[in-house]
Amino acid sequence: MFHWLEKHPFFFAVAVFVVISFAGLIEILPNFAQASQPVVGTKPYSTLELAGRHVYIKNSCNACHSQLVRPFKSETDRYGHYSLSGEYAYDRPFLWGSKRTGPDLMRVGNYRTTDWHENHMKDPAAVVPGSIMPAYRWLFKNTADIDTAYAEQVTVNKVFAVPYNAEIPMADGSKSTVKLAATLEEAHADALEEAKAIAADMKDQDVKDAVAAGQIPEIVALIAYMNSLK
Amino acid sequence: MDNRPLEYDYTVAKMFMLTTVVLGIVGMLVGVILAWEMAFPAVNTMLGEGLAEYTNFSRLRPLHTDAVIFGFTLSGIWATWYYVGQRVLKVSMAESKFLMFLGKLHFWLYMLVVVAVVGSLLMGITTSKEYAEFEWPIDIAVVVVWVLWGMGLFGLIGIRREKSLYISIWYYIATFLGIAMLYLFNNMAIPTYFASGGIGDWYHSVSMYAGTNDALVQWWYGHNAVAFGFTVPIVAMIYYFLPKESGQAVYSYKLSLLAFWGLMFVYLWAGGHHLIYSTVPDWMQTMGSVFSVVLILPSWGSAINMLLTMKGEWQQVAASPLIKFMILASTFYMFSTLEGPIQAIKSVNALAHFTDWIVGHVHDGVLGWVAFMIMAALFHMAPRVFKREIYSKSLMNTQFWVQTLGVVLYFTSMWIAGITQGMMWRAHDEFGNLAYSFIDTVSVLHPYFTIRAVGGTLYLVGMFLFAYNMYKTMTSSRRVEESELQNASPMGA
Amino acid sequence: MNKLMVFGVVFVAALLGLTWVIAGGQMGDDIVNKLAMLGAVATATIAIFVALKYIRQMQTDKASGKLADENWDGIGEYKNELPFGWAVIFLGLNIWAIWYFLAGYPVNAYSQIGEYNEDVAAHDAKFEAQHANMDEETLKEMGGSIFIVQCAPCHGLQADGIDGKAANLTVRLEEKTIKHVINNGQGMLGYPAPMPDRNGLMNMNTNALITDAEIDAVAKYVAGGMKGTEGADVFAGTCAACHGPDGKGMEMVAPSIADFNPTLVADVLKHGKKGAIGAMPAFNNLTEVQVKALGAYVTDLSK
Ligand code: HEC
Ligand code: HEC
Ligand code: HEC
Ligand code: HEM
Ligand code: HEM
Ligand SMILES: [Ca+2]
Ligand SMILES: [Ca+2]
Ligand SMILES: [Cu+2]
Repeated sequence: MFHWLEKHPFFFAVAVFVVISFAGLIEILPNFAQASQPVVGTKPYSTLELAGRHVYIKNSCNACHSQLVRPFKSETDRYGHYSLSGEYAYDRPFLWGSKRTGPDLMRVGNYRTTDWHENHMKDPAAVVPGSIMPAYRWLFKNTADIDTAYAEQVTVNKVFAVPYNAEIPMADGSKSTVKLAATLEEAHADALEEAKAIAADMKDQDVKDAVAAGQIPEIVALIAYMNSLK
Repeated sequence: MDNRPLEYDYTVAKMFMLTTVVLGIVGMLVGVILAWEMAFPAVNTMLGEGLAEYTNFSRLRPLHTDAVIFGFTLSGIWATWYYVGQRVLKVSMAESKFLMFLGKLHFWLYMLVVVAVVGSLLMGITTSKEYAEFEWPIDIAVVVVWVLWGMGLFGLIGIRREKSLYISIWYYIATFLGIAMLYLFNNMAIPTYFASGGIGDWYHSVSMYAGTNDALVQWWYGHNAVAFGFTVPIVAMIYYFLPKESGQAVYSYKLSLLAFWGLMFVYLWAGGHHLIYSTVPDWMQTMGSVFSVVLILPSWGSAINMLLTMKGEWQQVAASPLIKFMILASTFYMFSTLEGPIQAIKSVNALAHFTDWIVGHVHDGVLGWVAFMIMAALFHMAPRVFKREIYSKSLMNTQFWVQTLGVVLYFTSMWIAGITQGMMWRAHDEFGNLAYSFIDTVSVLHPYFTIRAVGGTLYLVGMFLFAYNMYKTMTSSRRVEESELQNASPMGA
Repeated sequence: MNKLMVFGVVFVAALLGLTWVIAGGQMGDDIVNKLAMLGAVATATIAIFVALKYIRQMQTDKASGKLADENWDGIGEYKNELPFGWAVIFLGLNIWAIWYFLAGYPVNAYSQIGEYNEDVAAHDAKFEAQHANMDEETLKEMGGSIFIVQCAPCHGLQADGIDGKAANLTVRLEEKTIKHVINNGQGMLGYPAPMPDRNGLMNMNTNALITDAEIDAVAKYVAGGMKGTEGADVFAGTCAACHGPDGKGMEMVAPSIADFNPTLVADVLKHGKKGAIGAMPAFNNLTEVQVKALGAYVTDLSK
């Protein structure tokens, strides 16, 4: 049979294709069938948080940082509760990473704060002596892209029915709603409100001035995102 | 025509040989920069604060991986395809204007993609999925390039004189099919600009899959991108170049056969080993582990077949640096396909995952196996496509030892670094609390990061020797006759 | 043994020896560490000995066998049988994989979360007795080790607050903080009533709201460790009512501002803190002993 295949390239290719494709079918399809449901307390990202997520991706923070707490005592001691599938229900793309040059950030919002991030992103080694993380000073100057974040919110809401403007059950029994602005202008205004709250906890005068003038530096969006990681 | 030997046409092969060398140097230069950045973070701002956005570790890392995979390795695969394909199918590219045109179009479109990739990655345009960072416009271009190659591939097979397909051809076909299937599925995304009615960046997209599912598809892709980018096509190369250069017949057809079909069957199941202890179901993780261990055998099948092909030929190994490259390549292939499965065992992965031990595994595969084999292939091709002898054998020998030392420093340092780090992360002190802060586990790695950077630099120096040797071969070494090109490649002192 | 063999053995021994010297100290009795080390040993030894076996064959054996009829660009193929060992192991592994998956894998009995829960229970059991009766010294020592992991990223290894980036825990309070609290009030540590801002702080000596000059004076006085006379009268007239005449605080009324104590630390860990310097998150996942230990350690820092 194999000898015959070797003389008939078309059938050879078909045979290879069959052999390599069914593993994928068997391994991947079952999980799609039971697409991961959000756990209680998992909310979609706000416009500013999503813009921050884009900053995170743009700078490939995932090259050094994972977002996956494995079920080991040593990891839950360091980072908090192990990860649950449903917590990632709104993560497109997923950001688990594959290398921990720096610590896991899945729940960094629980144990770091705005002012800490501000100091750290400006000069990691000044906060953590010996840190090999690069300083991200340009984030204090570049402006965050709210438009694209809003476009993504609209897209996932429309295509994947991500529940914006809908009540979401929280762990304490309350309900919470994440707003999807009706227009781009409204999205900008909402994001700016959120940004102001963060800038208030920051010290960098340029950032404060920019936000006061209605602009959102990338660092503010990034911190909004990191604070949302819990 | 029948009585004349075929005149093969290497125009397209030559073009890809050039990009192999250039992109190899670029990609590895970036790798060396990364390595120094991890050892000495000040290197992040080597071109000044103002340019740090483009020279810092995180912006450059995807550029490194994509440049060496989609630049260096892929160019090498195509350079050898446009050379080997004609020869084992016994048909010349010159016989079909159409195939020739396809080949050139393939090359130039590929060049366009390369430029787009370098530009966009430096600007930070990425989807973050490893080895699938490109946004959708580039993905579409990649698909077009791939289809062009496929047409050329099957076109050439279609007009072949040699009825039965040689082993290398099996592997090239599998490379084509495997990547086509994987790339398409993993890159499924929705452009937000169109879905939102024209808001934001036109090139931005959002993945079709979310969270755990996205991870599953990504690592089904990521693992098999390794399979069909770093393993299958490189095996295609060694099956041609080692027997050809040494003049030995392949040790066992049966072994070739079982190793091929075994590899095809087993590889795809193993992707779960990238997701061990994650939130994908236990059984999938276990499947990944189990099949990874099985995978040792089909992988070793090819390596053993090649090593046994050299049975009794030690004098050739000792005399020819070209054969040395290939023998060391298949040894490193054995090494990384043993190390990988062991790292895939659940409890070992619990320690190894996320550490530099994985990076060590990656590089003994890519530096010791992939890059060594590609360079050996180019060395073998050079006299035949340029009709000149290899410029310098002693330079080749020097390159071999410099780079071997480079790989050894790289993987031993990362091996130790990874195991140390993995154990420190897990350690509890005498009171039951974590024994080390995270930064302790970073600082302790400084010496190993430095050794790795030195090893990487040595490897890069070897790349420059390689480029110089190839350049001289192309331009100024002694011309050779067809009769000198049967087996062992002619080399100048 | 020829040169290559010797070289191979030396290389593997050196690699494994180095790994042991550098990482071995961390092994402990962690089964994962042991299996990983075993994996490393297996990888290095199997790879080198198998490679050497084939190199031996290159040196001493001879190619043989029947050639197939086909020939590609001059490359021939022997019709040799499969290497026996390879074939047997391949077959065996395939059977093992199928068996393991269909029968051997504990589909119903294994879950990684179950494994985690067992690990945690074992860990807790191991330290239960030790944690139940710890003396002050041991608590301090334990607190120190937690501090390095959990707190040092903000407060610094020296607990000095890294140049004002977080509270300096080697002194109880700094002027800046005290002024900020007086000016703005504070109410996050869980006391029944918050501390009022300056518009609620009467100086009993003058029977008027506290003045700027008095704030300066009392801030200096408290920051200086409540020594000297300057500001002492303001303190007695304004602050002592809640913080006590010695500033050591009063249960259910106000915390000590004269020194750190375990209760204050526990309150800060429970509620987090936001003030003149910045914000500190709450640490609710620490265990009771850990909180006690941190209390002992931080209290000791400024002594
Ligand atoms: C070269 C690797 C590297 C890159 C790239 C990197 N980091 Fe880090 N990061 C580290 C290391 C190492 C640490 C631990 C030392 C420290 O805290 O500075 C760290 C720590 C952190 C922490 C503190 C987490 C904790 O638990 O203490 C945060 C938050 C963080 N990084 C965010 C980011 C973000 C956001 C980016 C991208 C914009 C980024 N990092 C890029 C290496 C990196
Ligand atoms: C009405 C009662 C009251 C008075 C009067 C009062 N305090 Fe307080 N003080 C408190 C309470 C309650 C807290 C704890 C607030 C909290 O929960 O965060 C506190 C907290 C503080 C703190 C912060 C301690 C820390 O580490 O967070 C400082 C500093 C302080 N007081 C200084 C003063 C000084 C100086 C005066 C006098 C000028 C004064 N207080 C008067 C009730 C009082
Ligand atoms: C993300 C940063 C951060 C971390 C982590 C952190 N702290 Fe703090 N901590 C702060 C900041 C900022 C303040 C000062 C708040 C203010 O402005 O009053 C503070 C204040 C304190 C205070 C109160 C000092 C006072 O005068 O009232 C105590 C006690 C303290 N920290 C202990 C700890 C301990 C113990 C840990 C570890 C378990 C810890 N902190 C971890 C940032 C941090
Ligand atoms: C039998 C064959 C192999 C198996 C079973 C295997 C197994 C593994 C495992 C378990 C990981 C680590 C996953 C993790 O914990 O993050 C890994 C990573 C990797 N391996 Fe292999 N490996 C094999 C061969 C190879 C070869 C030959 C190469 C290259 C030439 C290679 C390249 C890589 C790369 C690039 C990664 C990193 C993926 C990432 O980005 O995380 N592997 N492999
Ligand atoms: C001079 C030689 C090279 C050096 C110094 C080098 C250096 C590096 C460094 C420093 C990293 C990042 C590791 C980390 O994040 O911890 C890396 C990652 C990587 N490199 Fe290289 N590299 C070199 C050559 C190559 C080659 C030739 C290839 C492929 C053909 C390659 C493929 C990769 C891959 C796939 C990764 C990602 C690994 C992962 O995510 O686990 N490298 N390299
Ligand atoms: Ca990776
Ligand atoms: Ca893509
Ligand atoms: Cu893999």
